[in-house]
Amino acid sequence: MTLDPATVAFVLVGVAAFASGAIALLSREIVHTVIFIGGFFAGLAVVYFLLSAPFLGLLQLAVYAGAVTILLMFAVMVVKRRIFAREAVLGVRVPTLVITVLVGFVLLDVAHMLTTPAAPYPYTSPGVMCGGGDPYCVTSLGQNLFLQNGAWLDLLGLIMLSSLAGAVHLAREWRTPSVRRIRED
Amino acid sequence: MAIPLDGLLSLSGALFALGLFGVLTRRNFILILISVEVIANAAILNFIAFSFYPPSGAVSGISGQSIAVILIGLAATEVAVGLAIVLALNRLRGTLNVAEAIQLKL
Repeated sequence: MTLDPATVAFVLVGVAAFASGAIALLSREIVHTVIFIGGFFAGLAVVYFLLSAPFLGLLQLAVYAGAVTILLMFAVMVVKRRIFAREAVLGVRVPTLVITVLVGFVLLDVAHMLTTPAAPYPYTSPGVMCGGGDPYCVTSLGQNLFLQNGAWLDLLGLIMLSSLAGAVHLAREWRTPSVRRIRED
Repeated sequence: MAIPLDGLLSLSGALFALGLFGVLTRRNFILILISVEVIANAAILNFIAFSFYPPSGAVSGISGQSIAVILIGLAATEVAVGLAIVLALNRLRGTLNVAEAIQLKL
């Protein structure tokens, strides 16, 4: 079996992203968790670039590795008195491990079944993503997103607007018991 | 030769299992939120993998990328609402331990 550079890069970046995610979820320092989860998101962005999806790679870098990571860091800074506060020791129980390992094996088995020679998923050669010879797919993606899937994009906008209103309502200060008591007095 | 489909699906499955492990074991609300994000990213990776390997007969697999764009927006929205819940929970209960937040009403 010969390995081409894209496959080698994918293996390296995939292992690094998985390791970064695992360290993030197993770390006891919550700030370390946020830093490593930023690395995890950036690793997945590189995988998207390798899969000829540069727009999604940039979106992943901007939204996840950038905005979401910073948002999480701000949440930690607002909530914690000491930023480097250790969490309780991880209480891993046997049923949890069994469930996780079983789900992992089932998913790996499905991946293997889908890609065997007699696969139930007959796919074409890789990389056939855009019609019309668009090498970076951005034009095709834009046309598909705004023409065929325009209704879903509208729905996403409505969901974002309503969740913004919900988030502002949830985070309002009058919900604090002391503030509520002062107002009632 | 390109990145094999089984490698992509294996990475996606491993990430899903990792996120599930985080959801089931951690007690801190922020960590559970991060674990849910790992699961969401595993799902998004699946969409992009199948857009890279479109089913035979399909003109292109670009729809998978469109759905991934919408999912990234949805997941970012979910983080914003989740962090608003974190702030409210911390202000009202003084803790982020989900075991102590047994009432849905804040």
